[in-house]
Amino acid sequence: MSSAKTGTPVYHIEADALHPPIDAESKLPTVCLTGAPNAGKTALMNALTGGSFRTANYPGVTVTLSRGKSKVEFGRQALFVDLPGVHSTSASSPEEELSCQVIEGRHISVKPDALVIAVDATQLERHLRFASFVARQRKPTVIALTMMDLLPRIQRTINVRKLELAIGLRVVPVDGRTGWGAAELITAVNEVLAFPVTQKDALAELPEDPVAAYQEIRELLDNSEAIKNENLFVLANDSFTARIDRIVLHRFLGFPIFFAVLVGLFSSIFWAARPFMDLIDWLFSRTISALLTFLPESVLSRFMAEGVIGGVGAVSVFFPQIVILFFLMTILEDSGYLARGAALVDRPLSYLGLHGRSFVPMLSGFACAIPAVLAARTIPSRRERLLTIWILPLMSCSARLPVYALLLGALLPGSAWSAGLALGVIYVSSLLVGALVAGLISRFVLHRTAASLLAMEMPVYRKPLLKPMFRMTWSRSSSYLRRAGTPIIIISACLWLLSNFGFGWRQERPAEAVRPSLVSVSDLDHSFAAQLGQTLEPALHPMGIDWRVGVGLISAFAAREVFVSTMAIVFHVGGDQESQQDGLLENMRAATFSGTNQKIFTTSTILGLIVFFFFSLQCLSTVSVVRSETNSWRLAALQLLFYTGIGYLLASALVVSLRLFGVN
Amino acid sequence: MLYGYSCPVGQIEFHFHLGLLTRGNMSLVDALHNRPYRVKGIEGPDDERRRLLDLGITPGEVLAVVQSVPLGDPLVVMVRGMRLALRRREAEWIRLQ
Repeated sequence: MSSAKTGTPVYHIEADALHPPIDAESKLPTVCLTGAPNAGKTALMNALTGGSFRTANYPGVTVTLSRGKSKVEFGRQALFVDLPGVHSTSASSPEEELSCQVIEGRHISVKPDALVIAVDATQLERHLRFASFVARQRKPTVIALTMMDLLPRIQRTINVRKLELAIGLRVVPVDGRTGWGAAELITAVNEVLAFPVTQKDALAELPEDPVAAYQEIRELLDNSEAIKNENLFVLANDSFTARIDRIVLHRFLGFPIFFAVLVGLFSSIFWAARPFMDLIDWLFSRTISALLTFLPESVLSRFMAEGVIGGVGAVSVFFPQIVILFFLMTILEDSGYLARGAALVDRPLSYLGLHGRSFVPMLSGFACAIPAVLAARTIPSRRERLLTIWILPLMSCSARLPVYALLLGALLPGSAWSAGLALGVIYVSSLLVGALVAGLISRFVLHRTAASLLAMEMPVYRKPLLKPMFRMTWSRSSSYLRRAGTPIIIISACLWLLSNFGFGWRQERPAEAVRPSLVSVSDLDHSFAAQLGQTLEPALHPMGIDWRVGVGLISAFAAREVFVSTMAIVFHVGGDQESQQDGLLENMRAATFSGTNQKIFTTSTILGLIVFFFFSLQCLSTVSVVRSETNSWRLAALQLLFYTGIGYLLASALVVSLRLFGVN
Repeated sequence: MLYGYSCPVGQIEFHFHLGLLTRGNMSLVDALHNRPYRVKGIEGPDDERRRLLDLGITPGEVLAVVQSVPLGDPLVVMVRGMRLALRRREAEWIRLQ
């Protein structure tokens, strides 16, 4: 897999946690990286493989199994698999269960030949206790001692040789963030693989009971004299973290700082991404028009240009926003602030039946529900995890933004600031409605169970390093593209076919006119989509819209922003690309129900559409991700019906009641 | 006991911590900030109790509340070199000597 020219190998295979692919041809030994959460496994993985994986200073970020081969220059290669962090061997979250399965050799496809345990040098006792669980499996095991750079902060030195003798396992100090010690680690792994040692393994003989185990670990460490100058009490020594915590968790300043961080995050998502989004939009519309001009006029070329490339464009337009979101989240995670944010909001969230850790998925949900649903895996209790996933579609994701922009442009023509204000109201109310739904469901629908444990580690503050941060941003963004892009492109291609084909009657041969056949229809009015829309028209009546807008609503199930491009198609906007938005607004304002002069887009129907988009789960990619994450079609389908139903009912109720009060 | 002592007077045991008379059965919630305490035992439901023990909050271990969060709920506790956010409900289970 290495490129011969540059000598920089690229190994990066990311797989679904439950179904990792098996390298059939690979005869390399499988080495699993394990450890307690936040021990620096993922950074170590990065250093070992040179690949790009998720690394973050937030407990429990490894939500998928990533695997990759070690770099060639480190010696004999091995296939490394990064396992999710384990807090407690009495596993409670699906991630921990998965890790325990692999370590105990119960997993179907991942069978480790050797194990590397990442042990945080500043928290030896706790991490060695987890290591004893791993050592009990009697597999070739090496301990990677991480966070060595933090030892001076707590005025501690560790004698690695003495530690090795005391615990009976190979110990290699490493720094995953800079790659220091990675080569030595690989050498050690190869040594234990070649000569499975039979020396006395003190760790494996530790008792399982936590109280006794901790006692023995302390005795082991004390007797070995491996640790020098350890203060019994380290909190005063890491005054750096304590000082920052005093400010960001201050009684009065804490929440203002938190909100300032959030506002900064969101405003930069929207302002910084804007020029890139415009550029991508322009590039794709240029490509489409160029393709249509240069390719011979045929159904296939139109399908390629409008259906496929248009679909790709619809996904990529949001890419800058996603990249910026992931980059900023990475900074927050790596520095350690994200865990503080989660602690800050734990109380209000637990009141709603959620968990402090629900905060990260909800935050991501404002960019896209798909990474948000994936991030919900870190929530330990099933009840809180499902409830978080349940309310995520309400968070106003960025795909809704172009729809709101169009609708608000039609509702409030010519006043940018009032449209901006309205947008702000929509965003805040999406959070409030999410809170309301969560509170109602946890109170009245779900079984009342005891609240789960918070017990969340607050990592020390560290300066994020640029290179790993860029690598991680890229790996998360590209995995988003793969995960969200494929369904969007397929669905938009299907919708293109539906809106461009229909049962027509061939005019040139009247004898066969009675037999309908599949033809390409230039006119949308006779397409499958139109027929579907016309069938649905009675249902659309309460919302005050006609079948053309209905087609837009259906097409929005590919991705919500497709509504805008569908509106452009059904209201026949063409020609000059630059003024597409203005042309569309003009045509929308002029649009009437066919055969009458009753306007379609009035104040009440636009408000109704906004309410519909606010609630409705018009995103089949989200449905598919929810299904795979919860392993339940029923839940995903129920969520789809629930939100789309509520959206439809509320929109209809709003339109009907507004009309009752004379607002047209 | 690091910063205090207890003295039995008849049937009642009086506990003095930093010179203050404390309740005989003190939990982490009552702890003063930035003062070390020794854990006496952990109560609570079995699963949660097991998890707190796994995290290293074992009887005899020294810990301290280093920070409380604006709404006063999660307490930040320093134990075995780790900063841990614990809800008040969980801190209530941790009894101190």
